[in-house]
Amino acid sequence: MCGIIGIASNKKDKSLTDVLVSSLSRLEYRGYDSVGVASLDDEGIDVRKAKGKVVEVVKTKKINEMSGYIFLGHTRWATHGAPNDQNAHPHVDCSGRIAVVHNGTLNNYKELREELESLGHKFRSDTDTEVIPHLVEEFMKRDMESFEAFKAAVSSLRGSYAILMIMEGEKRIFFARLDNPLVIGLGEDKNFIASEYAPFLPLTNTVVTIQDGEIGFITPSSVYIEKDGKIVDVNERVHKLNFTLASASKGGYSHFMLKEIHDSPLAVKETLSTMMADDSVDKAVKVMSQANRIFVVAAGTSYHAGLIFGRELNMSGFTVIPMIASEYPSYRTRAGDVILALSQSGETLDVKMAIKEFKNEGSTIISITNVIESTISRESDVKLYMRAGPELGVAATKTFVSQVASLLLLKSKILGEKLDYLSHAHEVLEASLEGTEGQMKKWSSTLISAPSMYYLSKGVGLPMALEGALKIKEVAYVHAESYPAGESKHGPIALVSEGFPVVFLDPGIDELKVNIEEMKSRGARIFYVGTSKGISKDEVEVRLEKGLEPFALAPPIQLLAYYVSVGKGLDPDRPRNLAKTVTVE
Amino acid sequence: MKAVVLAGGKGEGLLPLTKEQQKELISIAGKPVIRYVLDGLMDAGVTDFVIVTSDKGKDLDKEIGDLNAGYEVVYQKEAGIEGAIRTGVSRVSDNYYVLAFGDIVTSKQLYSSLISLFYTNGKPSISLTPVSEGLNTYGLVELREGKLKVVKSGSTLALAGAYVLPTEPVESFENYLSSLDSSYFVWSGSWVDIGFPEDLLAAVQNVLDERKGSFISDEANISTSAVIGKNVVVEEGATVEEYAVIKGPAYIGKGAYVGNFSLVRAYSSIERNAVIGAYSEISHTLVEPYAEIGSKSYLTYSVVGSKAKVGAGAITESTFTGKMIRGRSNKFGSIVPPAETVAHGTILKPFYSS
Repeated sequence: MCGIIGIASNKKDKSLTDVLVSSLSRLEYRGYDSVGVASLDDEGIDVRKAKGKVVEVVKTKKINEMSGYIFLGHTRWATHGAPNDQNAHPHVDCSGRIAVVHNGTLNNYKELREELESLGHKFRSDTDTEVIPHLVEEFMKRDMESFEAFKAAVSSLRGSYAILMIMEGEKRIFFARLDNPLVIGLGEDKNFIASEYAPFLPLTNTVVTIQDGEIGFITPSSVYIEKDGKIVDVNERVHKLNFTLASASKGGYSHFMLKEIHDSPLAVKETLSTMMADDSVDKAVKVMSQANRIFVVAAGTSYHAGLIFGRELNMSGFTVIPMIASEYPSYRTRAGDVILALSQSGETLDVKMAIKEFKNEGSTIISITNVIESTISRESDVKLYMRAGPELGVAATKTFVSQVASLLLLKSKILGEKLDYLSHAHEVLEASLEGTEGQMKKWSSTLISAPSMYYLSKGVGLPMALEGALKIKEVAYVHAESYPAGESKHGPIALVSEGFPVVFLDPGIDELKVNIEEMKSRGARIFYVGTSKGISKDEVEVRLEKGLEPFALAPPIQLLAYYVSVGKGLDPDRPRNLAKTVTVE
Repeated sequence: MKAVVLAGGKGEGLLPLTKEQQKELISIAGKPVIRYVLDGLMDAGVTDFVIVTSDKGKDLDKEIGDLNAGYEVVYQKEAGIEGAIRTGVSRVSDNYYVLAFGDIVTSKQLYSSLISLFYTNGKPSISLTPVSEGLNTYGLVELREGKLKVVKSGSTLALAGAYVLPTEPVESFENYLSSLDSSYFVWSGSWVDIGFPEDLLAAVQNVLDERKGSFISDEANISTSAVIGKNVVVEEGATVEEYAVIKGPAYIGKGAYVGNFSLVRAYSSIERNAVIGAYSEISHTLVEPYAEIGSKSYLTYSVVGSKAKVGAGAITESTFTGKMIRGRSNKFGSIVPPAETVAHGTILKPFYSS
């Protein structure tokens, strides 16, 4: 999800750049890697863009010195092409007279690009977006008027988009939207258009809604919208906002964490479909298949995903050693070993230090991150990427299941298994989300007063139990411990007394019943997630599919942590003492 | 933006409370249920309302007369939700409108979130919420690749009773929602759909929990020897006599009376002009406007209908019945029907025991 802002003003005013910069700052929370601005005045279009933070790019590109009466701004999260200066938006046509910013994904950009290149268009970036200005340029060459050319270009696109376009000699911003948000703000002597209200809300609370599939333009004093050739009555669309819109950016959800838990199925689907089409995956599979040993280097939630991967391959006779990255000095690799580095941000310091060391020892480095060209990716021999999109809640949720999905794909390819089962992963997640959320909210009312609890499981459920304990520690500050259920009598059961909460995650392992009974007989309060019935009065059923158990178990543990946090009046998006990306030792 | 608010349902789950009046007019912590919906929508920028009701909603005008917004009350001509929607949308001229069920007690933010989602996404917008008891009493949804399908079972996500929809009549409400290309979100805050007696007590609890701190009106008559604890609201004109104890969370409405040595505690809501006689104990109980509780009575987990007269020394039994439909606590006492007279010294049997 990139951020988009457009400003159309009557006056060429220096203060417009301040408005633009503060608007861009209000889009920063979305997560981004590069920033770009286009201005339009009588001299033409000026585009300045670069990789980096708003404040850095404003400084290095002297954005405060730009002038004009029309501005476009964009914060980019890389999906097509690495985050670099060239791939940052806005993108322009060959002549530099048309500039475009875009949010979304164009599925047919490769075909369009080939066709445009065959017509002589020169592309400067790897993005899908760049086809848009070239398409408009091509239609203009065919004597179309600017808005007609824009409409013709948009109708050639397949995929999802929120597009803003400016053109020399035109005092307006063209727009189109499909499955991506876009909203207009009406100011006194200027109008705004953006991917959400946040950028312009301090300046105006009068908004015009744009519905899906609509296309039009804003000028400094008017708004024109049409759909399927029919003109829309804009007056009917004008609304006054008289409430704070803290939640506007969260798609209605109260917190990013809950939104991201619900975004998981899509994140997993995107991750799998992208990885299945990525040649690097086969390269990674080949390297790992021939490896002497595979060390999985990760921290926190990523480590738990790594445990799932390790278990699956170890059971098939491979030697996989998952390690917590900060403990890397305890391990020694040798030639023939492969390192699989897992980090959502691609910047985790512990992981960086570990791979640097192992690289020196001669190991091949494969990485899976969620951020294209992140430091860890750059330092890897094979770079793999999941496609979870930016994650704004501090606790990893959709990135965790995307990571698990990518690791299961690798595992199945290494073992030569059929991959069909993975096409159900997002469905299992969906079924688990809708099937457990009510129960998790109910359980949370008991657990908000729990000082301490256990998460127990066996087999493939164990990494999920570890993750469950970590999540509730992270966002709800409940002291939670997790260990293999069979270990209870070797010590931990001493802590169990009347009412002590124990969450059991049952991935379909009958032997777990014995452990449940031993806890019950000590007075523990059992919270059971699985397929059996009559285990406890607090039980919830999940749909288990062979090989996809983590996707059935992830939603309840994440939702439980979320609801306990909210029930305690905490902010699950910003847990105390934690950072999204751990870049310190 | 205009909202169509539905307040014409039969309210069968709440009989006998709803025999003569719409459930949306039941008073909770000083406001009729529908007022929670209207206030939430007004906060979210809705300025015009069409309230669709039945003959049992004749007091609606009286109850919401001070509403700071344009509204009209219309009577439902055809049966069912679809009939109510047809009546409502015939009075809306915009392309989209808010459809809100008038029997939901939730935080105002649900409505802001919904409308803000619509303004940003420009699509039909649907609110969902997690539920865990009486699942078959809700409209449940399955989520399939961002699309939503209304189902009868197999889900714990329920329709939350607030939607932004295209202005058009619908044949079958649930099929219609399933057919839309919509945006949805899950509301994770407090939410109660008033369908059964236990929902009233849950709503009182949620509303009182959300009110932070105490409020005592300057116009209340509180004896110097009365004890007022934390999280207590005492409205203007209310009287709390000598040695009475109000232990929060609790609500004492306008003009209500709490007699000497009485104890009102633990999520009790004494609505306007209700009377609690001396030496009584009231906990987890909703006492509707103008009801009178005789002295030395003991009421727990109960609802006393408006204008009911409970004789002195009445006692409710609240037992673990295990039969409650949406029971959150597994305890429920009695329902005293509106205007009912209960004889002195009666032991009231649990409502769900029959």
